[in-house]
Amino acid sequence: MPFTLEQFQIFSEKTLLYLYILNIDGKIISCNERGRLLFSKNNKDIDQRYLTDVMIDEDIAIFNLSVSKLSKKNTVVSNTVRFSWEEDDLLSLKFEFTLHNDLIYAAGLDATEEYKEHRALSTISRLTKTGGWYYNPRNDNMYFSKGTYDIKEVPYNTPLTLEKAASFYDSDLGKEALEKIEKLINDKTSFEYKGRVTTNKGNKKWVKVMGEPVIYKDEVIYINGTCADVTDRHNYIERLKHSEETKHLALKGIQSGLFDYNIQKKEVFYSVDFKKMLGLSLKTDFVHEDEFRKMIHPDDLEKALERHYQNLIEEGNYYHNHYRLKHLKGEYRHYEVFGFRKKNKTGETIRMIGNLIDVHQRKINERTIAINKTKLQAMVNNGFDYIILLNPEGEILMADDRSLKVIKRDFNVDPLEKTSRFIDVMPLNFKNTFAYQFNEALKGNIIKKDIERIGYDNKPQWYESKYTPIIDKHNKVNSVLVSFHDITEQKLAEMVIKDAYIKEQELNVLKSNILSNFSHEIRTPLNGIMTVSKLLLDEKRPQEIDKLVQYLEESKDRLLYTIDSLSNYSEIEAIKNNLHLQDLDLNYTVESSYREYKHLADSKKLKYNIELDETCPKVTLDQNLFRTAINNIIQNAIKYTEQGSINITINSENLENNAYISIIDTGIGIDSENLKKIFDPFMQESIGLNRKYEGTGIGLSLSNRYIEILGGTITVKSEVGKGTVFSIILPKCL
Amino acid sequence: MNILYVEDNKINAMVMEKMLSKNNANVIIAENGLKALKLVKNNSLDLILVDINLGLNQMDGCELLQRFKQLDIIKGLPVFAVTAYAMPGDKQRFINIGFDNYFSKPVNFDKLLSVIANIKSSLGKREQTI
Repeated sequence: MPFTLEQFQIFSEKTLLYLYILNIDGKIISCNERGRLLFSKNNKDIDQRYLTDVMIDEDIAIFNLSVSKLSKKNTVVSNTVRFSWEEDDLLSLKFEFTLHNDLIYAAGLDATEEYKEHRALSTISRLTKTGGWYYNPRNDNMYFSKGTYDIKEVPYNTPLTLEKAASFYDSDLGKEALEKIEKLINDKTSFEYKGRVTTNKGNKKWVKVMGEPVIYKDEVIYINGTCADVTDRHNYIERLKHSEETKHLALKGIQSGLFDYNIQKKEVFYSVDFKKMLGLSLKTDFVHEDEFRKMIHPDDLEKALERHYQNLIEEGNYYHNHYRLKHLKGEYRHYEVFGFRKKNKTGETIRMIGNLIDVHQRKINERTIAINKTKLQAMVNNGFDYIILLNPEGEILMADDRSLKVIKRDFNVDPLEKTSRFIDVMPLNFKNTFAYQFNEALKGNIIKKDIERIGYDNKPQWYESKYTPIIDKHNKVNSVLVSFHDITEQKLAEMVIKDAYIKEQELNVLKSNILSNFSHEIRTPLNGIMTVSKLLLDEKRPQEIDKLVQYLEESKDRLLYTIDSLSNYSEIEAIKNNLHLQDLDLNYTVESSYREYKHLADSKKLKYNIELDETCPKVTLDQNLFRTAINNIIQNAIKYTEQGSINITINSENLENNAYISIIDTGIGIDSENLKKIFDPFMQESIGLNRKYEGTGIGLSLSNRYIEILGGTITVKSEVGKGTVFSIILPKCL
Repeated sequence: MNILYVEDNKINAMVMEKMLSKNNANVIIAENGLKALKLVKNNSLDLILVDINLGLNQMDGCELLQRFKQLDIIKGLPVFAVTAYAMPGDKQRFINIGFDNYFSKPVNFDKLLSVIANIKSSLGKREQTI
């Protein structure tokens, strides 16, 4: 049932709405009484007026935009614009514009109060970095105010869901936030929640979110909330916490007690930690000075008070004192007091603020250092016999007590008072080697050298001298530490061992000489017996004598076997004990053997060469034994070579500790079966009995044994028909 | 074939002479080095056998060998050591100082006689060629 015209006229005049009909340019065609009021309040006639004539400049653009939208789309557009109102006031009208038959129908509601509130709220929102939000759990609508969009740095009016809103939180916090919402819906209680979010632009922020339920018929139909950016506050609190902690730790670390001493009242205020440490009551703020003085060590009290009163009357403002204080646990600890005195107009100290510092550990350290220094001194004076520190010029910088005493006694000079070169005040025996060793030490080497001297009691003494370079941070030798360590006992013990060894050697020589003579003395008559026996065998003889000759043969065979075994048994030992070792020039020694067989090689028209070692290695050898060994090999090589060459080479250049000799022939060679047994003396015996090869087999076996006795090794390689290579390796003298 | 045997031990000298004579050699005995040096000059020899230990304070076989070597007459004449020094290394020692062969006591006559036979046969050949 539509309004009658009269009903409508009454309605339009009685309404709170400001009603206007405008043409498309915005010129007012007609309006109600209330609409006219807008112009009369501005002392303006309404005829031929535009609505924008009383509109504030800032909002004209908004109005024009709304009207232009209207002309394009045939819908309702709403907007709030402000008008001038009486003197200094503003009227905010929330309009709804409709286009009908090319006329604009505008209905505006007074929203001045709401608008003011809105402006204030949005200012607060901006200033406090707080936004609003709401969520409707029934239709899942999620809304952010502009402030909230700003915090999350998301473009205004981006469509939202609850999940999207939660997704800004860091990992688990988002899940937690959703749980909070769920809990609110179930429990119908508000919540407060703090978490870190990552904004749309990737910035990290701390936010504080509050939510409050709107309940309708015992059901949560709406959740209103705020979202505040609390990053600054969070960081500030964190910093504050940190600095509080630092201060706390610092105070704990130095175990100090802050105090405020009211001298007139004789009362002291101590910090809580300090009171705890000393076991003072925490209930009272002030401690009476008498009570405090009871805790000072009785031995320290008198002097501490003396210093205290002296301090109070001194000029300036500073205060310093020290004493031991009794701790909660009953032990006394060392404290130092540093204070600042406040004086009244007459110059009297009335108050003092200061700090009690626990210096117990420092005091203990000082004492430990003092003890260690004494110990070090004791070590220096007892650990070595003599120690002297020299500068690079060889002048004495420091010396132990004993060295100083000797120098003072022998040279009547104190090197610590008068600069003295060590070489001028040292015992004569030391001078020979000093310069060399000192120079070596200056190069950065640690040098050791044993020195022998005759002591005051005419007995020999031995010292191990050691030169140790002391290197500064620029890697330069800035001094040399020379120490002399008495090794007389050690040397004497070594000499006893050496004597015993020589005696043992002598006994061994004696033993093998006895054995050798014994062998000779048995063999001589045995020769007679055996020859007679053999002669008898050849004679014609009666049968009964024949049996006796048989017995004689058997017995002499057995005796010969015994004496041969005895000789062989003692072989190695006998040779070892009769070694005559010398440092020989290997080139010369081998060349002598080479020359010895030159005629033999020449007679067979063989090429016979020797190649000497340019480094001239020296080897410790028994000349006879070595010559026997090498002669056998050379002789052997010539013997088994019918044409071609014999090459002897001495070489040690590529070997660090050894010398190498090779004897290469182009002879008949040795097959692999015999090569294995070539140094086997039992094998050789059978070869040796063969007349054709007589002498040679045993010779190689001897060569092998002798070279082994001399500390070397022999190896042999051979190919039948091509030749043989003998290689000898011997340790060089170093 | 003339063989000089330098040997101080009478029994050993005697049995050697007996053994070699049986094998058609003429053996001259010298009981010390000095006698041997004289005999060498006055006799045409084919082989000399020398004992090494020729008694206390006497020239030994090694020294005698060196003395022989100074004589022209003896050049090319084989000199063998025949000795009771038969410890390991002894043989090499005597060969090294210049003996042409070495026989330890008790003498292995099979070996010695065969060596002598070789010398004899080479002498025969030489004589033939002459």
